[in-house]
Amino acid sequence: MRITQQVKEETRARIVACAERLFRTQGFDATRTKEIAQEAGIAAGTLFNYFPAKEAVAVALIESALKAAEATFRKRVTDSASLEEDLFAYIAAGLRRLRPYRAYAKSVLETCLSPAATDEASAGASNIRTGHLQVFGELAATRGWSEPPTAMECQLYWTLYTGVLSFWASDSSSNQEDTLALLDQSLRMFVAWFISQRSTESLT
Amino acid sequence: MAATVSDLLAALPEGIDVPGETPTEQTLGDALNELTKQPIPTGALRRFGSLTGLHAKVGLAYLAYWARGCFQNADRRQQALIETNLAAAMKILSTMGYLRGAIMKIGQAAANFPDIVPDEFVDTLSRLHFEAPPMHWSLIREILHDELGRDPEDVFESFDRTAFAAASLGQVHHGRLKTGEQVAVKVQYPGIARTIRSDFRNLSILMLPLRFTRDWSCIHPQLEEVRRVLETETDYEQEADYLMRARRLFRDGDQIVVPRVHQEFSTRRVLTMEYLDGQTLAEFVRSDPSQEERDRIGSLLTRSWCRLLYAGRMNYSDPHPGNFLILKDGRLGQIDLGCMREFSDEEWEYLRYADQVVLGGRKEAEAHMRRGTDFSEAELVDLELMDAMVEYSDWMLQAMRQDEPFDYSDASVMRRGINLIHEFSRRWRPAQKPINVFIQRGVLAGWGLQHRLRSRVPVKSICDEEIAVTGWRQQTV
Repeated sequence: MRITQQVKEETRARIVACAERLFRTQGFDATRTKEIAQEAGIAAGTLFNYFPAKEAVAVALIESALKAAEATFRKRVTDSASLEEDLFAYIAAGLRRLRPYRAYAKSVLETCLSPAATDEASAGASNIRTGHLQVFGELAATRGWSEPPTAMECQLYWTLYTGVLSFWASDSSSNQEDTLALLDQSLRMFVAWFISQRSTESLT
Repeated sequence: MAATVSDLLAALPEGIDVPGETPTEQTLGDALNELTKQPIPTGALRRFGSLTGLHAKVGLAYLAYWARGCFQNADRRQQALIETNLAAAMKILSTMGYLRGAIMKIGQAAANFPDIVPDEFVDTLSRLHFEAPPMHWSLIREILHDELGRDPEDVFESFDRTAFAAASLGQVHHGRLKTGEQVAVKVQYPGIARTIRSDFRNLSILMLPLRFTRDWSCIHPQLEEVRRVLETETDYEQEADYLMRARRLFRDGDQIVVPRVHQEFSTRRVLTMEYLDGQTLAEFVRSDPSQEERDRIGSLLTRSWCRLLYAGRMNYSDPHPGNFLILKDGRLGQIDLGCMREFSDEEWEYLRYADQVVLGGRKEAEAHMRRGTDFSEAELVDLELMDAMVEYSDWMLQAMRQDEPFDYSDASVMRRGINLIHEFSRRWRPAQKPINVFIQRGVLAGWGLQHRLRSRVPVKSICDEEIAVTGWRQQTV
């Protein structure tokens, strides 16, 4: 029997929703792919047609949350904000959307989004990285830096971002207020460096 | 290796060693710009580094002045002193902006003593009251959402993205509720409460060598008192409670207003209160008001402090110009009650005895000193010690004892009090009871405020009226 695209999408969405419920109730590490498949009403092998590992399911969850956050951020963006503030708003919107997954986000983030991640289990992780850096490039371009960020600028920015994510996942302060302070400070530092880089380039 | 004169001259802050160039607003502007770029450190070690760095910078600036003085005539020397004071003030400002929290409090207290610290310090430190480094709107939005549980657009009809005032612990935005009320919303910097705890841990480390000295038994409880009050100040729910209680103490005829709190939009980190429109006390002084107006405002300040103390059993310890407004209708607005100290029944009883000193003479003062300090009977045999304590007590209470209005503009009176404190701390151990730490701070800072105002206030008659509510003077002690 031929499976339609619509059925595929519905199955994929069901797997993600069931995985989210299991991660939330019994933890990411304790959840097995077999249980996710069972919960979604499919054979264990069928799940692998959609996701190569449970990390990939978690990344799909995160990717979906971050896409929604990007839409929220784009609605709010104004001409008057600085690059530093826009980046803060963009990342903070993502953290807010990711909050329901915070309990198990740490292991997923470190496995899939860390600069050192091998990424074999989660093709979605590279989508997240590419999408995020694209927004960074767009925000820089609106400030007149038409040249896209260099590989070094991207790598530094991504390291900062994933570092903040990792800190946030374990942040025990009220409402993760320490993460807000860390994000504020690290973006001040990064943007000051980024602007100085661009100024130096324009001089030479 | 000892520093050479060249090293010290090289250590002068930039921009003050240019012949013929006086400190300018541009220099201050640069310092403030620099200030806004500095992040707020939340790690104890980084802040500790900043603190010790501050001492080094100020020390070097003064050493540089001393070194330059060897080669200059008197006029030039005076000029250099001004420059060095200014540069040191900027360094302090810069580091305080970096540290915020408890350290900024020291700057605010110092700024109230224009005749004790140099004018250049006062001008620069005064900026701290309203010009602390800002948080951008996106950070404010996140804090508001976290604290109020909704986006600011869902809570407020309008909300100014730019703060109209900055405070040591946060910044204040103007907004309008959905119901139409104009509000001032104070938002706390993230992590500032831990910053203060961390500052005190650093201070404890610095004071470790004192642990085995006789002074430690006095210093430790006093430090604890300071820590407790400053930590309370980080809790805006507590401040909301103080505001609501204080507001109930004043009537229309008092000409003193405390803003109404909107509790449903207030939390430990966000305080939403009625917006009061008016001049700050600093702006009022700059507008060169008549002596009559200065006296009127000075009297309202005294009335407000006394009312909180005697009717509210609360000591307001942070009277600086940023915490008061002169409203368009002439009333005095008291807009910040974060730094407050409440009294237990036992402490209240102690204050009742203190009031006997106001009415009495040396005998009452001596009796009070025995209760109000940790000096032993053996120490109190020292007549010079008792004389010094009584002299200081007389100085503190002189405004409450004289029938005619007290003239706060006389700098020599204020200087005498500061000299008494210096002399006392030089000769005897700091044996005051913890309760007196913030009472003394409130009185001295209030004195400094009145001095800036150059006011003449009938302190005795105001105090007598306000003390009447306690019933103390109808009772036998």
